[in-house]
Formats: sequence, C-alpha cells, structure tokens
Amino acid sequence: MDDLRASSGLFFTLLGLVLCGLGVFAPQTRAPLTTVNVNLYTGIAMLVFGGVMLWLAWRRRAQ
Amino acid sequence: MTLGPIDYLIIALYFVFVLGIGWLLKRRVATSEDFLTSGRSVPVWITSLAFVATNLGAQEMIGMSASGAKYGMMTTHFYWLGAIPAMLFVGVFMMPFYYGSRARSVPEYLKLRFDEKTRTFNAASFAVMTVFSSGISMYALGLLFQLALGWSFTASVLLSAVIVLIYTYLGGLTSAIYNEVLQFFLIVLGSAPLAILAVAKAGGWQGMAARLPDVMSHAWKYSGSSSANPLGVEVFGLVAGLGFVLSFGYWCTNFLVVQRALAANSMSAARRTPLIAAFPKMFIPFIVIVPGIAAMALMQMGVGYTLPVKDGSYNYNLALTTLMQQFYPSGLLGVGLTALMASFMSGMAGNVTAFNTVWTYDIYQGHIRKGAPDSHYLWVGRMSTIAAVALSIGAAYLAQLYNNIMDLLQLVFGFVNAPLFATFLLGMFWKRATGHGAFSGLLAGTTAATLTHGLTLAEGKGAWLGQLHEFPSTMAQNFWIAIFAWTTCFVVSVLVSLLTQPRPQAELRNLVWGVTEMPRSEGAPWYERPGTLAVVVAVICIALNIWFW
Repeated sequence: MDDLRASSGLFFTLLGLVLCGLGVFAPQTRAPLTTVNVNLYTGIAMLVFGGVMLWLAWRRRAQ
Repeated sequence: MTLGPIDYLIIALYFVFVLGIGWLLKRRVATSEDFLTSGRSVPVWITSLAFVATNLGAQEMIGMSASGAKYGMMTTHFYWLGAIPAMLFVGVFMMPFYYGSRARSVPEYLKLRFDEKTRTFNAASFAVMTVFSSGISMYALGLLFQLALGWSFTASVLLSAVIVLIYTYLGGLTSAIYNEVLQFFLIVLGSAPLAILAVAKAGGWQGMAARLPDVMSHAWKYSGSSSANPLGVEVFGLVAGLGFVLSFGYWCTNFLVVQRALAANSMSAARRTPLIAAFPKMFIPFIVIVPGIAAMALMQMGVGYTLPVKDGSYNYNLALTTLMQQFYPSGLLGVGLTALMASFMSGMAGNVTAFNTVWTYDIYQGHIRKGAPDSHYLWVGRMSTIAAVALSIGAAYLAQLYNNIMDLLQLVFGFVNAPLFATFLLGMFWKRATGHGAFSGLLAGTTAATLTHGLTLAEGKGAWLGQLHEFPSTMAQNFWIAIFAWTTCFVVSVLVSLLTQPRPQAELRNLVWGVTEMPRSEGAPWYERPGTLAVVVAVICIALNIWFW
C-alpha cells in the first residue's frame, strides 16, 4: 500500500463509486447552471482513473 | 454555500488517505536524510508531479482564476513565459550541479560553491519566507472556509495545520511529496469538470471570445504598449522581468521546488523532474485561468451568474468558488472543495518540509551544533517540523490582524529574491566567481530593488524616497524592480569577483560548468533524454503561445 499507485488508485475508485452512486440513485441532484448529470460523468472518469492506477500497481507487484 | 452529508463524507475520506499515507511512510524514515531529503529514493513520475503540485497552492488556484477573470489570457504568461522556459533551464543546465554536488539544499550548494556568509544569507531569508508563505496559505484557507462553509477561522486554520503536521511529522519529505501527487490528481480531476462546464455554458471558446473585449482572449496581441492591455506592461518588461528574472529566480533557485527534484532517485531522474513537470504545467491554465475568463463571459450572458462586488469593484478572488456553487451539485461540490483544500495544504506542506531542511542542515548544523550524530539531526528535523507549523499558525493570525504587514513582507522578500538568479548563474557557469563577489552582488542587488521601489510610483505604491518615474501598474513596477536588481547583482558580482582571489579549480569539481563532467544520455530512449524532452516541451509551449497569441 505504500506504492502511491495503489493508494491513489484506491482513493479515486472509492471517490468514483460515491459519485456514481449519487449520479445513479439521486440523478435529480443538479447545480443551478447545468442540466448535466455531473456527478455521474465525473464519477465514471474517476472510476476509470482509479482502476488504471490499481491495475498499474497490481502489474508492478506481479513483476 | 451549503454542504450535504455526502460532501462531508468526501472531505473525510480524503483526510483518511492523507493521514494514511503519512502513517504508511513512517517506517521508511531511519535517518535525517530519509526524513528531510527522502534519501534520494523517489521515482521520477512522483517527483515530477510533486514539482508541479507544490507550487499549485492557494495563491495559484484562487489567484490565477482571479487574474483570468480580471486580465484574461495574458495571465497565461505566468505559465508559458514565466515558468516553462525556466523549468527547462533548471532541468537541462542546472540540475547536474545541484544533484551532482550532493548538496542537500539550495543554500548548501551556495556554501559548497561560495562561502558560509552567502549560504547563511540565503538560508535565513528563505527560512523566514517559507514560514510566512505557509502562513499566508493557511490564512487564505481560513478565509475561504469561513466564507464558503461558515466554519470559524480558528477551526479551519487549526484543522488544516494539525493534518499537515501529522503527515509531515510521520513521513517527512516523502510523505509530503506523495501527498502532493495525490493532491495534484485531485486538483486536476476536481477542477477540470468546472472548466468544461463553465466554458460549454459560455458558448465554447468562440462564444467567450465574442462576448468579451478582444484583449481577454489574447496572450501577446496587446503586449506592444503598456496602455493597450490591462496588465499595464509592455513586452520588454514582460519578457525580461517576468520571463527571465522573476521566473528563473523562482524555478531555478527556490529550494521549495528544487527540493522535489533533489529527492529523485538518480541524476537522470532529477534532471527529468522539471522537464516532465512542464507537461502538466503547460495545461494548468486551462483549469485555472480559463474558468475565470468564462466567469466574465457568463456575467455578460445574464444567465444568473454574477461575481460578488466588494468596495465598488468585482471580488475576482471569488471567481472559482462562485463558479463551483453554480456548476457543482452536492457530491462533486465536496470534491471541488476538497481539491481546493488539498491545494492549500500542499502549499503549506511544501513550505514546512523546505523550512525544516534548511533549518536543520543550513542553520542548525552549520552554526549551532556541528558534528552531532545523525539521530540528533533527525530529532531536530522533526522538532523543526512542529516549530514550522506553529510559526505558520502565528503568521496566519498575523496576516488576519495586519494585512499591511503581509504586503510589506512580501515586498521585502521580493527585494531579496529578485537578484538571486544572477548569483546562481555566475556560480554555476563562471569559474572565476568568488564568494565575496556573490555576497556583495546579493547585497547590492537587494539594495537596488529597494531603491527602485523607493523611487518609483505605481497605483499609489512606492516612491517613499521621492518619485523619479511612474509605472502604469504595480505589476510593471515589480517586473522592473526585478530587472534592476538582477542587473546590479550581476555587475557587482562580476566586478568584485575580478578583484578578489578565485578558488582553485580543483575545489570546484561538480559545482561549476567546465570542471564538471556533464551527465550523458546517449543510448537512452528519447523520453529519458533531458535534451529531447526539453525540445518537445518547447515546441508544444511555442505552439500554445501562437494558438492563443
């Protein structure tokens, strides 16, 4: 876990899950000036980023 | 601004990771060098991102979006002109001496190259400056949280101080660097959606440009004369003052950033640190400056967005947070605020870890107690971490009580810093430069800076000795102060050096160009060669300048 890839991967995966959860279960949560489901899209981006970091950490450990 | 429970959950999750990283890195600390310099063991991708992140503090996020709203694309000069060239220079030309000399700090390089008095002058002014910078970061955070969340100033200052203290005390520089990288990711991922949403709402780049005065969407077009642009600077002052003196003075001699490169695990990694850092650095304007410009365009559109007014003019400093309020729903709002908090904390932690190294090695080991066992210096390093945080809290309150004192201090540090790059340039590239030359040059340069400020007026500031000239803006005044200070330092250093006894060349190995074997990178893939990387960065940076000229 003191590999930064693993810790930041885990952080952004968790953050992505929280935001995606909000985007899916509370899709009406909107800021005044936008009609986009911002939480969902940002959450997906964070999940992807976190996933890539975790994959890199896993690959490094496997070596 | 109201936060929901989910926003607090996100803030708490971030704090858990920040403290957790400090805790996990605790066992890597066995010696004072592990604690203060990371034992030269950090991989290059981490040092590079930390190199950008440590500078991405409070002043940067809030200040650059405010300048974007106020001045438009000319603000990008602080990146494409005022950072990238200097970052390339420090990586390609200076790092061989910094890293190769095995100095543990920038002041220590001055001691190896010149003498004790030059080192002490630099170390002392740097130590005081870091405490106040960190205090100003803390103060800005306190204000923001008071304003945005309704937390009390004391609560937000103490909470952030305690968190920074815990993770820097546990894991030292490594922990600060690792957290800076996490903060960097968070700042980018937490701010990029804002830039995208605000620009899209404002009708894209074309829509923004059409709604605003033409000068807002150009970096160079109006720089021919100081009266044509809102910065009030002309192209020579801009390029020589900002692009050369101030920028090289900061990126090439400020231990705060150089320390990140010195933590890298090899000479090649140290040289590539600022070069790789230049890639993200070039694109940061798109997440901090462009939203500020979009804010001004949105105001023109009458969609219900407006910047708060303070004392009869717009409070540009609130551009970023008010945009977040308008575009971020609960959830992402927590992420956005956490990102801001992260940027304040990285600014603070960077200063704390630079302070404890300079204090321990350059002041304590240099003057107070030499030759103690290493465990003693590790202890001093830890204690000075606590002291740095405590002093920063003091500085934060000082800033809150006496705003003018902070302005004055920043002015004084400007005087001390402006000539510094001349000293390093001569030290690294001219064998003949002597300690007496360097020291008298620094003093003369600082005096020249003070005199320039005392004899010129800009926006009602300066001219406390009498007025010889008036600048159209304080920014122009700052740039010219830097130009005069640098030139004076350069000339005086050269003259005094020629009159004093040079050091034998054998003592200058690994310290000066010409008596140091430069590291070679033939045979390495292109992305591991500093020269090639620098060319790639330069080409992209020039293209950006042309695109937004």
